[in-house]
Amino acid sequence: MIVPYGNVLLLAVILFLMGAACAVARRNLLMILIGVEIMLNAGGLAFVAASLKWQRLEGQAFVLFIFAVAAAEVAIGLALIVHSQRRTGSVNADHYNLMKG
Amino acid sequence: MKTILFFLLFFPFAGSLLLAVIGRYLPRRVVESIGCLTVLASLGMAILAFGSAGEKRYLLTLFDWIRVGDFTASMSLYYDPLAAVMGLMVTFVSSLIHLYSVSFMRDDEDYVRYFCYMNLFVFSMLVIALADNLLFLYLGWEGVGVCSYLLIGFWYRDGVNATAGRKAFILTRIGDVAFGIAIALFFLIFDQLSIFSINSKVSTLAAGMATLLGLLLFWGAVGKSAQLPLVVWLPDAMAGPTPVSALIHAATMVTAGAYLLMRLFPVIALSQVTMITIATVAALTGLFSALAALAQTDIKRILAYSTISQVSYMFLAVGAGDVTGGMVHLLSHAFFKALLFLGAGCVIQALHEEHDIFKMGTLRQRLPVVFWLFLAGSVSLAAIPPFGGFFSKDRILLSTFSHPEPIYKVLALIGEVGALITVLYTFRMFFVAFLKRPSVHEDFSDRDLKVPKFMAWINLPLAILAISAAAINLPSVWGGSAWLTHYLAFLPGGNIAYPVSESLEAWVEIGSGLLNVAVLIWAYFLYRPEKPTPGVMRSSLRDLLFSGFYLDRLYQIALVKPYQAIAKTLWLGVDEGGIDDRFDGTGTAFRFFSLGLQLWTTGRLSTYLRMLLLGLTVMLCMLALGWYYIR
Amino acid sequence: MTGEGQGGGASIPSQQGRGRIRGFIMTLYTVLFYLLAMIVLLSTLLAITRRQVVHAVVYLIISFMATALLFYLLGAPFLAGLEVIIYAGAIMVLFLFVVMTVRIESVEGSRGEFLRRWLPAVVLSVISLAAGGILVFEAPASRTALNTGMVTPTAFGHYLFKNYWFPVEIVSFLLLIGLVGALYLGKQESKTAGGRWENKT
Repeated sequence: MIVPYGNVLLLAVILFLMGAACAVARRNLLMILIGVEIMLNAGGLAFVAASLKWQRLEGQAFVLFIFAVAAAEVAIGLALIVHSQRRTGSVNADHYNLMKG
Repeated sequence: MKTILFFLLFFPFAGSLLLAVIGRYLPRRVVESIGCLTVLASLGMAILAFGSAGEKRYLLTLFDWIRVGDFTASMSLYYDPLAAVMGLMVTFVSSLIHLYSVSFMRDDEDYVRYFCYMNLFVFSMLVIALADNLLFLYLGWEGVGVCSYLLIGFWYRDGVNATAGRKAFILTRIGDVAFGIAIALFFLIFDQLSIFSINSKVSTLAAGMATLLGLLLFWGAVGKSAQLPLVVWLPDAMAGPTPVSALIHAATMVTAGAYLLMRLFPVIALSQVTMITIATVAALTGLFSALAALAQTDIKRILAYSTISQVSYMFLAVGAGDVTGGMVHLLSHAFFKALLFLGAGCVIQALHEEHDIFKMGTLRQRLPVVFWLFLAGSVSLAAIPPFGGFFSKDRILLSTFSHPEPIYKVLALIGEVGALITVLYTFRMFFVAFLKRPSVHEDFSDRDLKVPKFMAWINLPLAILAISAAAINLPSVWGGSAWLTHYLAFLPGGNIAYPVSESLEAWVEIGSGLLNVAVLIWAYFLYRPEKPTPGVMRSSLRDLLFSGFYLDRLYQIALVKPYQAIAKTLWLGVDEGGIDDRFDGTGTAFRFFSLGLQLWTTGRLSTYLRMLLLGLTVMLCMLALGWYYIR
Repeated sequence: MTGEGQGGGASIPSQQGRGRIRGFIMTLYTVLFYLLAMIVLLSTLLAITRRQVVHAVVYLIISFMATALLFYLLGAPFLAGLEVIIYAGAIMVLFLFVVMTVRIESVEGSRGEFLRRWLPAVVLSVISLAAGGILVFEAPASRTALNTGMVTPTAFGHYLFKNYWFPVEIVSFLLLIGLVGALYLGKQESKTAGGRWENKT
């Protein structure tokens, strides 16, 4: 007996929303990316708990894939940030508003 | 006979069609020839038909026009003595007027259009005269209405003329609606629309229905013949060329109303209410228009009001049951009124488009031919014995008076008063316009006024007929043969319903003849040339009469202005405001909406992320709420 | 039922725990869970509110460590290790590299903007939390307690490569693509080659 299943899920929800709040409220591109990472991590937590609850291993396998994708995405994201910082000199998300209107 | 009648109708129609299609490319003389020859050919056909018909009646079908289910409307003709006489008159007067028009319109560029419309008009009028099928008659009826509109507004480039045409058309249309309803009712009751059949089956009508039909037909006739209350279009219709006024608004179209009632006389005569209504309206109209004519200054307007008055006498005859009397007056009126109009046309052209009689004068010396011809018309109009108009008008008054119903006596009296006023205004017009006038501006008196000889002399046949129209139906008391009465004798209403003794007839005629002459002499005293200002009425009375008892203004206030107000409301309020603005408003609403949405497209990442979170929130809330609702 | 490991944890309500809470069996694992949960939440909260990126990254590493322990508690030791290696070890370090090598000025605005920036996010999150909480706790499955369990790496590996070898291959391909992309994007623009790169739109 550990905890009721709902508690773990609730923890995952809270973590997810914290990551969402970070992505929404911060203007630094890096912080936005960190928010995304937090969200992915929270998703993985939910999967692991589900895997334990329903006694199936697919949950854990999927967490592996989440990790892999998160890694690839961070790599490309950071490369993009570096590239755009070199082009425009700013990592402020508000700076990139050419699509305005 | 069938071919004769077919050609009678075909010639003018073909002429009109030809001129409409290729008239533009033909030289002027050819166009004029076509215009006149077609009508002359119709005249020939009419004479032939009249001669060969004798006293027989013919019911002929030209061809089937509409066939829908059980309903067949064919172009069928009913050629009886009434139609024969009418056809003859229409073609004769039309021919003369067409010939006159050649000279009258010699300076006008639109002659092709003119002759085309005139031919079309003659065709329509002949259709009315001869038709048996009511729908076919309605075709002609509408046809004359359209041609009247086209011809009144002939010089449409001046807005006034176009307005006058429109006024005429709308007012006659009001009458036509009633006529259309009557046709529908006829079909409903009798299952077919032949005048001949209807007249023979007329006894099967219920009393109420007969009254209704009679009143509807009368309303249609009122519109077409410009009786009260649909009277205001005829004076304004004088905006058209004078030959048009002569043909349409003197001799033919305005008599079509009376003619219709005569054709369907059995239906009308069934209901006493209808007859009394017709007679009453007619008498009142006669008086009204005679009074109005007394104050007019435009020579054509005087003649217009005079027409209204004389046509009302025809209606009075129908209302009293005397079709022959009405027909005689119709014929003589056609002759002398056409004559008067054409004469007026000569005068107007000679004086360079001057219409005001008070600006004319001393025409006896300068236009002698016109002077004498006009005099002939005037004495006929004023019913001075022994000229044409006298006997016909007198017969009508006699028939009215001898009718047993008491109201007819009053109406006869009104008619007699109207007749006396007719003398007055006729000779007012004649004396003021034609006699020597020292106060007239000297500009005109020396110049030689030119009137094309042809134009003046073409009126001679009309003058002869006007004066001698009495011979058509001279009562036997004076030794005449009363030919027309015998010719129309076996028509319903052919004979006087309530005949009077011959001696009474003679005394009455002598008496009224003397009265008329007395009024003529009085008119001479009032309007003789030596009088400095020939005006005897107080100005307020004159204004009342001049404007036709303010009838125009009454209609303007009571009908036109509310209608225009409603139309304006519907236009601005409903159509533009309600519907258009709603469309515009929808567009504007969308614009605002999109402007609002535009605030979201900031191009900034933070905004978009915020929107994503918002979407997520909304979805979760909806799921949570849904969970509760499912429970 | 696949791959249940030999239960390493007690499945018997035991008195080893700290005590009972109102009918709910409290064991050591429960306490451990809540402790770790607190750490995760606290450190994540600190991470997202730091002005300096480096601080945030470090706090986040702590968070990920705690999460890894949480994974172990929930019966996935292999994933716990992977979490530390990949997430905390590689990704966060990557962040640090980027922060250090590229010049980042502080972009956060003045103090006054703090509320303005955070308010909508917080409000929306709270509402979502409420909705999400309702959803989570209305499900009947949420009330049942989780049994302890363990999946050994061997079993996991067998399972993975037996059933999901194809996605694994795809994922490796994906990583290759990521590699190539990152390489291309990160390439320094050479100063001598003017040409295309200097054309700004």
